This record gives sequence, C-alpha cells and structure tokens, in this order.
Amino acid sequence: MIRNTFRKEVKEIIRDGRIKIAFGIVFLLLAIATWISGKQYRSVNEQHAEAKAAERLIWDNQGEKNPHSAAHYGTYAFKPKYPLSLIDQGVDKYAGSSIFLEAHKRNEAQFSKAADQTGLARFGDLTPDFVLLFIIPLLIVLLGYNAFTKEREMGTLLLLKSQGITIWKLIFGKWLALFTPIFIVTLATFVGAGAILSNLNDFGVFKWEHLGVLCLVYLCYYIIFINLVLLISSRAKKSGVALVLSLSIWIVACLAIPKAASNIAEGKHPYPTRQEFAANILMDKKEGLDGHDPWNKQAKLLEQDVMNEYGVDSLHQLPFNFDAYRMQKGEEHNAEVYFKHYNYLKIQFESQSKVYRSLATLSPFLPTRFLSMAVAKTDYSTHWDFADTAEKYRIEVQAFLNNDFAENSTYGDWSYKTGETTWKQLPTFQYAPLKLNEILWRNSSNIASIAFWLLASFGFLFITIKKF
Amino acid sequence: MIIIDQLTKKYGEALVLNQLSLNIKPHEIYCLLGANGAGKTTTINLLLGFIKPTSGSAFINGLNVSENSRKTKRFLAYIPENLMLYPTLTAVENLDYFSGIGGKNLSKVQLEDFLNQAGLQKGAFHQRISTFSKGMRQKVGIAIALAKDAKTLLLDEPTSGLDPKASNEFGQLLHLLRDKGVAILMATHDLFRAKEVATQIGIMKQGVLRQQFNAQNISLPELEAAYLETMDFKELEV
Repeated sequence: MIRNTFRKEVKEIIRDGRIKIAFGIVFLLLAIATWISGKQYRSVNEQHAEAKAAERLIWDNQGEKNPHSAAHYGTYAFKPKYPLSLIDQGVDKYAGSSIFLEAHKRNEAQFSKAADQTGLARFGDLTPDFVLLFIIPLLIVLLGYNAFTKEREMGTLLLLKSQGITIWKLIFGKWLALFTPIFIVTLATFVGAGAILSNLNDFGVFKWEHLGVLCLVYLCYYIIFINLVLLISSRAKKSGVALVLSLSIWIVACLAIPKAASNIAEGKHPYPTRQEFAANILMDKKEGLDGHDPWNKQAKLLEQDVMNEYGVDSLHQLPFNFDAYRMQKGEEHNAEVYFKHYNYLKIQFESQSKVYRSLATLSPFLPTRFLSMAVAKTDYSTHWDFADTAEKYRIEVQAFLNNDFAENSTYGDWSYKTGETTWKQLPTFQYAPLKLNEILWRNSSNIASIAFWLLASFGFLFITIKKF
Repeated sequence: MIIIDQLTKKYGEALVLNQLSLNIKPHEIYCLLGANGAGKTTTINLLLGFIKPTSGSAFINGLNVSENSRKTKRFLAYIPENLMLYPTLTAVENLDYFSGIGGKNLSKVQLEDFLNQAGLQKGAFHQRISTFSKGMRQKVGIAIALAKDAKTLLLDEPTSGLDPKASNEFGQLLHLLRDKGVAILMATHDLFRAKEVATQIGIMKQGVLRQQFNAQNISLPELEAAYLETMDFKELEV
C-alpha cells in the first residue's frame, strides 16, 4: 500500500509540468551556486596560500632592524577558508579574512568580502546555503501543500477510503514521495560539492564525514518542513487554504523569526558602539603601564620593583635592557585590557546566542542555520576562536621580540639591531579549528532543538492520522 | 451479501434514516429509488462505514460494518455519482493503484483484461484520465470492482449525467457483475435504468422504505405510478 501510494505520487509529481519547472529551477540554482562557490573557494584559498607565503617571506627578509621596530612592522594572521564553506559561507563574508598583528594593539579582522562589494551586495549572494535554507523549503511547500486537499477536492479520498486504505500507510506513502525528490536534490548537491572539494587537494583537509553531517542536518530540516506541510494539507479543507498556511509557515520560520530574533537579541544584549569600545580600552590602557613612556607612574613603580629585585641602584646595572622589559610589561598590561573588553563582547555574543537558542523552538530555521555554519566552520564561534588564537600569537610575537631586545642589549641602547636569523626563529602562525565532535558538543542545544522539531512534527502528524 | 437490519441514522433531531431493513443476496441488484434527501446516500455511507448508525446494524458478507469497518471493505467496491480518478495517470495506472490499495497487485496483462471486461476501448487503456468522459471513468470504476473481485458493489447514482448509450452500457456491465455473483445496491433517480437492471426495487422517502417490488413483477409505467404515488404522499402529509 505504501509502495503503491509512493509510486502513484511520484508519477503525479513527474507529470506535473509546474513541478518539473520548479525542480529545474532549483537544480539550476544549486548547480550555479555550487559552481560559483567552488570557484570562490579555490580563488580565496589560492590568495590565502600566496599571501601567507609572501607575508612570511617579507617578515624573514625585512632586513636588519631593532626588534621593536619589527614589532611595529607587524605581520598578518590569515584566516583559513574551510572546505565546507563551499556549502555555507556563514559570516565569512562579513567577518574579515586576516588580522594585522602589531605591537601594543589588538586589531580586528579586516578585508571582508562584503567591504569590497558594491551596494548591490545588500541583495545577497547566490550561495548553496541560500538555496538549501530558503528555496528547498519553498519547493517542499509547492510540492506538498495539496497532498491531501487534492484528494478531497477531486473526490478520490472517498474512493481510497472505500478501498480500505490504511491512513498511516497513505500518509507514509505521500511522505516518502515528497521526501524522495528532496533527498535526491540534496544528495546531488552534497555529492557534487564533495566531488569538487575532493579534487582540490591543495587546500585544507576535506572529510566526507563532515559533509555527511552537514547533509544530515539539512535533511532533518527538510523532514520537519515535509511534516508541517503534510500536517497542514491533511487538516485544511481546500488547497488554496493549505497553500496560504504553508507559505505563512515558511515566511514566519525562514524570514520573520530569524529577523525578529536578531532584533530581540541585539535589544536585550547590545554590543557597545565601536567608539565606546575604543574609548573604554583607551581609558583602561591609560590607567596601567605604558611601555613607551618611562615617566608613567606605573613605569616608575616597575623600575623601582625591578631594581629592588636585582639589588641595583641604576637601570644600567641590570643584566638586560630595561626599556625592552618595560615594553614587554606594557604589552602584558595591554593584553589584559584587550582580554577584558573582548571578553565582554564574547559574553554579549553568548547572551545573544542564548536568545537565539531560546527562540529556536519557534522556528527550525534558527538551529539549522547555526548548526550548518558551525559544521562548515563559518560561524562567529569559529571566528572568535581564530581571533583569540591570533591574539595569543600576537602576544607571543611581542614577547619573542621584546625578550630578544632585552637579552641582547642594555638599557638605553636603541641602536641594537637584529636580522634574518632572529626573524626566522619566530614560529609561524598556526590555527587548528575545533574538531567535529567538539563542534557538535558545543552545538548540542541546536541539535536538541532540531530533535524537538522532528519529534513534535512527527507527533502532530501521528495525531492527525488518528483524526483523519 | 448485504443485510441491513433496522438501520437508523439521526443528525441531532433530524431523522434521516428510519429503521431500514434490506437483504440483498449474491446475483441480486437492488435499486433504491427516491428523491433527494430520501436517505439513499446515507444508507450507502453507512454500509461503507463512513458514518456510524444511531441504531440498527449493517452486515457485509456476514461482518458487522460498525465493528469491522476495514475488514468489510475487502469485500466491497464503491462507485460514486461522479467517479473521480487521478487525471495525470492513465486508466491502467489508476486501476493498478486502486487495486493495489485494495490488496491486489496485478500484472499489466491482467489490468488490461479487467479494463477490457469493463468495456473500455483498448485505445484508451494508456490514455490519461483527464481526457476521459464520465462514462469512461465509470467503466474504470467497474474495472476496479472486477479487479478487486468484490462480493458487494455499492453505487450512488452512477448513471446520472450519462448519455443513453453509455447508461445502457453501464447497465450491461452491472448484469455482468450480477452474473459473477456480486450483490449490488444502487441508489438512483433513474426509473428506466432501475427497471432495466434491478432484481429488486425499493422506493424511499424521508428515510423510510415505503414500497418494495420484484422488478420482474412490475412494468415501467406501474413503477412510475408507484414512485409518483409515494412522492405525492409527501404532499398529502404536508
């Protein structure tokens, strides 16, 4: 009975001209989006590899100079583009791709793709995640809104009932017929993306299991939509009503709630403005040690402490260059200030994330969106993790350079210079993102939300079967 | 075999079927005549198990419909006034689907044979139903009943809207099913067709079976007179 209904429904779908056109458009959009994303991914990674190599070459060959000059000369930490960003670009477009690492200052990531685009970028890009998150649920609505209402309207439901059809088998047959084309489209997209990524051996480490998890997340999302659309169709009297209700669900779940969630989260836990943020950092910096200012109150206290510790009455008697030592201490103070203020931002980010998670019970879009970005390593958490690693590296670079300056010169000797041998000793920046199991663990609330939606939608469908 | 025993259906205070009793054996065609609202369709819906009786019982092949709604459907086929099938599927595909739902998985040759027995032209077997006339759809309905090997056939005004030729062909198909031992209950307004095909004829009014005849013992003019008399009786009551 399930097989019969499945075959019948699939034949109807295949023979419906409107459905053919809709499928054709979705396939075309996905193919174009994946192709564009693939090209971008390759291009960005080539640029990333070139920039990384060039930057190191520039660093190593910067010539002889004082280590503190080298600290101000700076270097870059480049954010890697991960293979699954081909499917979901997440916040990469807005978050910036590299961080300039210099003395005394923690910089934010720069050179975001969005900053290089024109105002037309406000319309959004054609990316696979756009099609997967917005268009395929719309396709589900178009395919399934009249799954049951058409039986009522055509009068075939009476004939089916008179044949003694088991309602759950009818629903399951229709469910399978709706799920199968969506499954094929989704699978084709992910296999296509996997094939592209498998052939790009030069960049990153692509793992099929990561792609499989991402595919599973989207399939769960579609199952929820299929259940909701069938639920509406089984309860609605007319196809028109079912279509309007299903479209309303799509609009609320995919458009309204995510935007409302963003407004609520920002309203409840606002980030400071850029101006406030910079002013607060400056104020805290002033209250501490300034490595460049020997007349600063804190610098004078440090001088006294160090001289007492070493039992000397002049900074010249110290076995190291106190100027470099003071600058290192200044760096450590600055690092604490930056940590405090960036940590506040992280707390606000976490609070906003909690708001999103609490609203995830209102829309399956939210947990899917967050889980997708997290698995693709294009979410804000990954960006924070990268920025924190870059900051840690910046602090290590400053310590390396200040220590070299301190150990190889004496107080007041600003003429000290070092060269290529020292520069080459600086370890390169390495960033290892979270592993898949860690990402999934961190996103357990999103997984729970999707599971809740799956259970609830199946539960309601089951109740409907009883009332059918 | 259909047995209806004191079957009554009320919607609130409205009595739509009042203690109807019928016994339709295999090889019998029972035609229920009556105006709109007489209770014919309610009787069929009760036999299909679509609605529950207020009192009384109905049996299909010895099984109480209220207690064994799903099981009784194994033995019955139903053709409504306007048989609607899936327009994008062909006649063979529709028959395949409905017989599959009824628990019969048939080969293409068997499906075509049933359509052939139902009198559908061979050229139409693989045409989409959207191109079919009502008469052709009714033939597919008969093919569904044949394929199901139904012991009971319920028909709700199946000839309404059919042209005389198609209606005549339909009558012949009912004879074919009757000869196969099917017990048939047909609700209709069509006195002529009822006289042509029926073995028993009943006239209903306001949920009550007013008169019953053996079709062989009554002429068409007598049937018409009896029908009008029953209908006029309503006016006298008013």
